[in-house]
Amino acid sequence: MVTIEVLGTGCANCKRQMSNVEAAVKQLGITAEIVKVDDMAQILERGVMMLPAIIIDGDLKISGRVADVPEIKKFLAGGA
Amino acid sequence: MAQQPTCSCSNTTGTAGPTRIIFPCAGQANTGQLTNLAAIQLTEEGYGNIACVALLAIGAEGVLANAKKADEVIILDGCPMLCAKKIAAEQGIIPGQHIIVTELGIVKAGSRDYTDADIETVVSAAWEGAGRTENQGKNGKKPGQGGCGCGDRCGGKC
Repeated sequence: MVTIEVLGTGCANCKRQMSNVEAAVKQLGITAEIVKVDDMAQILERGVMMLPAIIIDGDLKISGRVADVPEIKKFLAGGA
Repeated sequence: MAQQPTCSCSNTTGTAGPTRIIFPCAGQANTGQLTNLAAIQLTEEGYGNIACVALLAIGAEGVLANAKKADEVIILDGCPMLCAKKIAAEQGIIPGQHIIVTELGIVKAGSRDYTDADIETVVSAAWEGAGRTENQGKNGKKPGQGGCGCGDRCGGKC
């Protein structure tokens, strides 16, 4: 099972990011653990300085902007 | 004090993500009016900058220049008449994302009634990339008078 961490402080963009991740997982029909990381200490611990960000199975895939659903699906398919 | 992460929502320069120009068809029906409201909300949320499709239709240089400079052009059409997409095509502009409101389950009606949920449906579709096309095209050229999609950075010069 894939673990997707969505890093953000709860602002509008971070909520859009979470929603897009959920949509991508649903469209792909995969089983994933989606973890919302909104604690600043935990975000810093992961070395992320730009939000929102997505980490998939420990790999930082994107930070500083909202990825759309097709892009997230590519990440999940191992395309980026 | 340790450096803190910054969020793209507080970035007003648009440098974090791609620059986007949004053309709503702004037609008279509810669905056309929804494209305009959605484009305004998307602009306020920092997704991109709304620009006038009417300016595009007359080939205003500013709006064309901004569309060409932008990383991506988003076209919001209210119905399958696809007026905004056709206007863009006339100017050689290929959208990276094309959303048709009636394809999102919103019925084109004789009234101009809409709900906040309708606006959110269109806005969410853009954020999700629901209208993503194969073309991530760059585009056309030149200056006009406001409504050019630069987010007022031109001070009315383009």
